[in-house]
Amino acid sequence: MSSLDSITPAEPARQDQAIAVRREADSTSLATNVSFRRARAGARRETVRDVALRVASVIALVSIWWLLSLFFPPSLVPKPWDTFAEVGVIVTSGNFFTEMGATLRRVLVGFGLAMIVSIPLGIFMGTLRSLESFFEPPVILGLTVPGLIWAVLAIMFFGLTETSAYAAIAVTIAPMLAISIWQGTKSIDKDLIDMSKVFHASAWSKVVDVILPQLVSHILAAIRYGLGLAWKVVVVVEMFGFSNGVGYQVVRGFNVFSMKAVLAWTITFLVVMIVIEFGLIGWLERSVTRWRPRVEAWRR
Amino acid sequence: MAYVSVDRAVKFFTREDGSEMLVLDGVSFDAKEHGITCLLGPSGCGKSTLLNAIAGLEKLDQGGIEFRVSSAERQVMDRKNPKENSEPGTRNPELPGRSPRLGYVFQDPRLLNWKRVEDNLVFAFKGMKIPRESWPGLLEKYLSLVGLLGFRKQYPLYLSGGMRQRVGLARGLAIEPEILLMDEPFSKLDQLTARQLRQDTVEICARLGQTTMLVTHDVEEAAYMGDRIVIFSSRPAHIVEVVENPLEAAKRDLDDFAFIQFKKRLLQTVLKLVEQEGV
Ligand SMILES: Nc1ncnc2c1ncn2[C@@H]1O[C@H](COP(=O)(O)OP(=O)(O)OP(=O)(O)O)[C@@H](O)[C@H]1O
Ligand SMILES: [Mg+2]
Repeated sequence: MSSLDSITPAEPARQDQAIAVRREADSTSLATNVSFRRARAGARRETVRDVALRVASVIALVSIWWLLSLFFPPSLVPKPWDTFAEVGVIVTSGNFFTEMGATLRRVLVGFGLAMIVSIPLGIFMGTLRSLESFFEPPVILGLTVPGLIWAVLAIMFFGLTETSAYAAIAVTIAPMLAISIWQGTKSIDKDLIDMSKVFHASAWSKVVDVILPQLVSHILAAIRYGLGLAWKVVVVVEMFGFSNGVGYQVVRGFNVFSMKAVLAWTITFLVVMIVIEFGLIGWLERSVTRWRPRVEAWRR
Repeated sequence: MAYVSVDRAVKFFTREDGSEMLVLDGVSFDAKEHGITCLLGPSGCGKSTLLNAIAGLEKLDQGGIEFRVSSAERQVMDRKNPKENSEPGTRNPELPGRSPRLGYVFQDPRLLNWKRVEDNLVFAFKGMKIPRESWPGLLEKYLSLVGLLGFRKQYPLYLSGGMRQRVGLARGLAIEPEILLMDEPFSKLDQLTARQLRQDTVEICARLGQTTMLVTHDVEEAAYMGDRIVIFSSRPAHIVEVVENPLEAAKRDLDDFAFIQFKKRLLQTVLKLVEQEGV
């Protein structure tokens, strides 16, 4: 502590040293400035490269499709551009929005129901041992039952109603969501819980301020995976005899054996899925993890 | 205000292989009421464990910790019986009075990384039921004290290690507790900053009349800040010596002869201990 007080009288030598040190500092700051700019340019080049690679990947897929269409009749493998034209017809006829809207509504309601049940269940299973033991068997069992079987059961139980679509989706993804949040809860930082106890945080504040933020990445991963499952189940449910939705349209295409229609509906569906997964959820992820510096530096 | 007495505290930890490890071996001392008590001891001896027990985060296997909230408002909190005091700050309903307000500056800062600096303090304000009107004043006062007023909107992961430690310090001080526990709060700071903060902390503690317990490795820090210095042996910890600081807080000056004498005496006591134990 006292070393800073005792300055020895060796002025001239010290000054030289000081200047030498300053020069060095200047040159390093210049160097870091340059390398910083270089790094930024490098990062831009990398994003350009990433986009180019993605575009190349899509072009490759369409080319393979086109090659296949040379060897098979159009009833089995239609030409890519014919199919894209069909997509255009679907979108411009206004059909797309009503059918897609019905499907999206079913997915969102089913998903919301699953979240409302699974997040508290997962948190309780992660925090209370007795609940963990009690709910582990049903959750694991639920996970292993295929979505198709849930769809059959829901339709047998509720008939051809919207309720059966909601139920089938909710029941299919709830176990997966619960498991992900349960495991996440077990890995949360005990020291922060201790801290919140010392400052007498309320139970609500413990959940909202301390536990949930630590689960954000688990919840987001679960949402991604859960949406993937939900898309699959909703199409199956709609195929069973619903009168609208993307699944119904695909079945209609199947009944008149129009490969073009089946593929066109599949493509529109894929595009909407991709927009939701990368656009919406990506945006959600960025906005809830703004507190965390990006960790990209170590990747090649 | 508040008074803390540690009475024959015994604590075992269970190792991975199931064997028991004695950490606190009958630790007894009284904290200086309205003053600063420094806990000085080698690394790994159980100082943090003791603070955790005082904060109610660990349960002692034997012995107790007694809190008294002024002589008029007498109240005894005994942590001997785990069932009665399962939560920190809860009290035996049969006893009159209230639990003392307790602040803890942790050894690692334990911040909520997803909350901005000021919201980390607000988190504590809410828990401690500090009226909303006084938040802005407290935020301003304690963030400027630790020199982070300009960073109040920043997220902790964008701060340096020492800055994060200062946020933890500000959070512990800002709730203006009656009992303040600090676990090496200046260990990650440069000497000049640490020195200023030591001085400020001493002043605040004196002004608010807090009963403070401060863990440190630094003999000079103990001599400068401690009204009473409790020296721990290495693990299993017992109290080797309790030294009263002969100098009044206001009169301690790092360059003063009397202070240097006292610091030397303290250092010798610690060195003797190290020799005896053959560390
Ligand atoms: N949760 C735990 N489980 C088992 N052993 C523990 C646990 N926490 C601490 N210990 C052990 O108890 C002993 C005392 O730990 P403690 O953190 O109290 O030391 P300390 O005096 O604060 O040391 P330092 O000055 O290095 O912070 C250590 O030897 C440690 O290995
Ligand atoms: Mg410690």
